[in-house]
Amino acid sequence: MYPSDLKYTKNHEYLRDLGDGTAVVGITSYAQEALGDVVFVDLPETGARFDAGAEFGTVESVKTVSEIFMPCTGQVLEVNAELEAHPEFVNEDAFGKGWMIKVKLDGPLGGDLLDAAAYARLVTEESH
Amino acid sequence: MTELKKHTPLFDWHRAHGANIVEFGDYLMPVWYQSARNEHLAVVSRAGLFDTSHMAVIRVFGAAGYDLLQWCFTRNLDACVGKDGAPLTDGKCVYGAFLDEHGHAIDDSIVYKIKDGEYMVVVNAGMGGPVAKHLAEQAKARGLEVKIVDLTDQLGKIDLQGPGAIKTMAKVLQAPEAVFDKLPYFSAKGHFDPESALAGQVRLADGTPILLSRSGYTGEVGFELFVERSRTVAVWEAILSAGTEFGLIPCGLAARDSLRAGAVLPLSHQDIGHWTYFHHPWPFALPFTATGAGFSKPFLGSRALEQAAGAPYTLTFVGHDLRKVDSHDARVYLDGQEIGIVLTCVTDMAIGRHEGRIYSIASPDQPAGLAVKGLSCGFIRVGPQLAPGTTVELRDGKRSIPVVIETDVRPDRTARKALKSFL
Repeated sequence: MYPSDLKYTKNHEYLRDLGDGTAVVGITSYAQEALGDVVFVDLPETGARFDAGAEFGTVESVKTVSEIFMPCTGQVLEVNAELEAHPEFVNEDAFGKGWMIKVKLDGPLGGDLLDAAAYARLVTEESH
Repeated sequence: MTELKKHTPLFDWHRAHGANIVEFGDYLMPVWYQSARNEHLAVVSRAGLFDTSHMAVIRVFGAAGYDLLQWCFTRNLDACVGKDGAPLTDGKCVYGAFLDEHGHAIDDSIVYKIKDGEYMVVVNAGMGGPVAKHLAEQAKARGLEVKIVDLTDQLGKIDLQGPGAIKTMAKVLQAPEAVFDKLPYFSAKGHFDPESALAGQVRLADGTPILLSRSGYTGEVGFELFVERSRTVAVWEAILSAGTEFGLIPCGLAARDSLRAGAVLPLSHQDIGHWTYFHHPWPFALPFTATGAGFSKPFLGSRALEQAAGAPYTLTFVGHDLRKVDSHDARVYLDGQEIGIVLTCVTDMAIGRHEGRIYSIASPDQPAGLAVKGLSCGFIRVGPQLAPGTTVELRDGKRSIPVVIETDVRPDRTARKALKSFL
């Protein structure tokens, strides 16, 4: 249910390590389902630098406005400009078309990132 | 903890149909099924079905019921129907509030005159007990002989709303033409109580008696149905299946919240509550005389309201795009000065601005190519009175959004249109 090639945070972001020193970041399918219809995604400027755990944007749903946090330290190389016109991509395809930013990784990934199995356990605990 | 929460008769249906469930007024209620946005848009352009069985019904019997409500309710029962202020007659209902002696709102309500000696009072979730107790105490204090019956959790209530509601209802009713004849906005026919002489007036195809009220809380045309609790699921399923061809879908509380804000209707205990019920966008809910200089009757709380000239102002606002602030923790600023708090901030998904004007997806005169993405809207409570058109800023710590004070939000609503125009 959660792709095994991704890393996850306890705040429900995912990181897809592209293996060339860059990674793609978004929010998980569980996160989008809990938020409901995503109506607006506020993303940073290309070139911005963030530490792991820093807020890099917000996702606005019908229910609430939620912060999204960096799973890694790095610099924003690209943002998903399509989300401006199609925020619903986050609901429809969180791990694909709903990606949010591409970052240039600064150093190794933090040890607190979860693999798919650990993330699935976290979600099961949270939803009970 | 879910065991301690209450369920409506439709709870199992909601869960079986994939609803996201939230707590609301002690009840576990659907907040949306697949998409709150689609549910909101469905009610504006097609039709939506809401479980509102968490709301409470109180019956008031006895000739003195009139005197009790005339004292406790903010509408003058002798002068509250239509523009000319006609009396509340059999089969008519009226929106208002119950206040305490300080002029604070206990709850808002729709009061129905069923017939002489019988009224029906509909209040919000969890308020059946408190309002019934309040009415009983006031009756005792004033020596009024009435019988008050709190039907909390004993009825099913279903709201069918949107332009497709009329054709849907016509399919499930016996003799729909007779039922729809002389059923103006804020009137009702039939009865949920099989013992009532009125029960034969409105029956579903399977014979179920219902009380059918031409009202709702979305700003769109439609009905509120009151039925015996044991019939609720069958009635819900019959309506849903009849309405599928008109685009009817089940809707949750999120869509109800955004629709009512777009229709400039308050949520009790959020937009009205334990503060002075005055200087708000609902002056029609108070019994002002024709000149507006005073009240046409004395009522519980009226003396406090007569001295409330300095009370803060509750005002309606609309934003410039769909972005919201968190209404639980947002303040209002005018020229950099903090002037009040945000009561409600939601997004009406069916509206957009074009050259300074607000259009709805239902507006007949919308400009070609209008892309509606939604606008934030809601209510603020501030110290100064602000004229429509004034821009204020809402800040919640995360963001700051400019919004405009308005007198209305979603244009071209259908609630008051003649039923026959939808058939």
